[in-house]
Amino acid sequence: MSSITSAPTANNTAMADFSRTTSRWGQITMIAGLLISVAGPLYLVFGTGLDIAPAQLWIAFAAVAATFGIIWIVEPLTYYPILGPAAMYQAFMIGNISNKLLPAALIAQTNIGAKPGSKRAELAAVVAICGAAVVHLVSLAIFVGLLGSWLISVIPPSVLLVTRLYVLPTVLGAVLVQAIVSMKQPRTTVFALLVSAVVVFVVLPLVPSLAMVSTAIAVLGTILLAWFFRGKATIAEAKPIHIE
Amino acid sequence: MHQPLALQPLAPNDSTDIMAIANNPVLWICVAGVFGVIIIQSLIFMKAARRAAPSVDMSARDIRTSFRSGAVSAIGPSLAVSLVAIALLGLFGAPAVLSRIGLIGSAAYDVSAAGIAAGSMGAKLGDASYTQSVFAVAFFAMSIGGAMWMLATLILTPLLRKGDAKIRSVNPAAMAIVPAAALIGALSCLGLTELPKSAIHVLSFVVSAAVMGTCLLLAKKLGKSWLREWGLGISIVIGLGAALLAVGPAAGA
Repeated sequence: MSSITSAPTANNTAMADFSRTTSRWGQITMIAGLLISVAGPLYLVFGTGLDIAPAQLWIAFAAVAATFGIIWIVEPLTYYPILGPAAMYQAFMIGNISNKLLPAALIAQTNIGAKPGSKRAELAAVVAICGAAVVHLVSLAIFVGLLGSWLISVIPPSVLLVTRLYVLPTVLGAVLVQAIVSMKQPRTTVFALLVSAVVVFVVLPLVPSLAMVSTAIAVLGTILLAWFFRGKATIAEAKPIHIE
Repeated sequence: MHQPLALQPLAPNDSTDIMAIANNPVLWICVAGVFGVIIIQSLIFMKAARRAAPSVDMSARDIRTSFRSGAVSAIGPSLAVSLVAIALLGLFGAPAVLSRIGLIGSAAYDVSAAGIAAGSMGAKLGDASYTQSVFAVAFFAMSIGGAMWMLATLILTPLLRKGDAKIRSVNPAAMAIVPAAALIGALSCLGLTELPKSAIHVLSFVVSAAVMGTCLLLAKKLGKSWLREWGLGISIVIGLGAALLAVGPAAGA
């Protein structure tokens, strides 16, 4: 901040007030969002007569944690310096951070000429994310909630069946290419593809019972190879990961 | 055949009628709850930002400009996310798609988590083994993952705010390599797992990957960043189109 007009004390009190409010309410709303979002599936599992053993949930959780556990912790760490504390509570609840919220915050900061890391930039990011949230909620409600539900009811069942059967490979094909291109780690990519190919085409046909942990094996194998055979250049070039 | 769930308590977990439980009213209430929480949070944060703005030389106009910039720049990405979400409606139903892919998470994470969870039950998403129970566990896996992200944020943000340098002084090479390896490893394993299922799975995967590659290449060559935002949506639509053409006559039966 280049300004010397506002008295430092007033400045500090107002921003301290902002920090206190956003921190307290950020935590309260995030805990509420967390509980509500888990309540839905837990109701399905235990409240609708589906006969699912709790152990099954732990196994599923362990399988997902083995794959994404590291990213759960690393992603908040990498976003914190860019978003600042207040926007953290917004970003990790609204989601789609890298493709939507970050650009929104950066454009707002540019448009009002706020220096990155300044208090003005912090406020601009929070306000911009509020604006982005409004647009996002409205477009989801209209296009997915209303239009999407209507689409599902009018498209022929045969087409719906095709989308249901093949949407998974299309999502994964595209997302894999996106991840490879944005990470810019060719060595890691080669190891990942090699390890995965061995797991899927060699190990699984031989030991089908490993299907449950195949992703975890591939993840662990890729991490170990990428780490032990890392090049010096990789470290300088590596970009923070984005999946949220 | 669409009996109310209460009438078929004996073997409901064998049913593959996902939409019967995916549109459960309780799930819709939870979606409304998440929407509501985000709206309340945004109102509180806006008010707090307005109050603090004068102290850092931020005018009411700057606030308006920031809000509008954020809103306008979110239009493209929001529509792109909506397109991806619509494509996944048939697999997960509207409430799960709205609360998971639309909010909180992202298509990449949630589809992966659902696939892993289904795999842990020996089932595959979308085919005959995709029963109501598999859907419930997959939905749980997506949600608990989102919850872990929020939990990490809740724990780490206050620590980082205090300037705890220890957390951020983790080996930078490890911070760069390990998460990227985990992500690419997971996605490539999940992707390759789709291939042995059928020739059309291979086709969908390859077409979609090629379209995404083309989108990213064109985005870079022509400087059109909207191609990057829309890449996933475009790839899914063209990939599904290819699958539909390949299925062709069979689909009419």
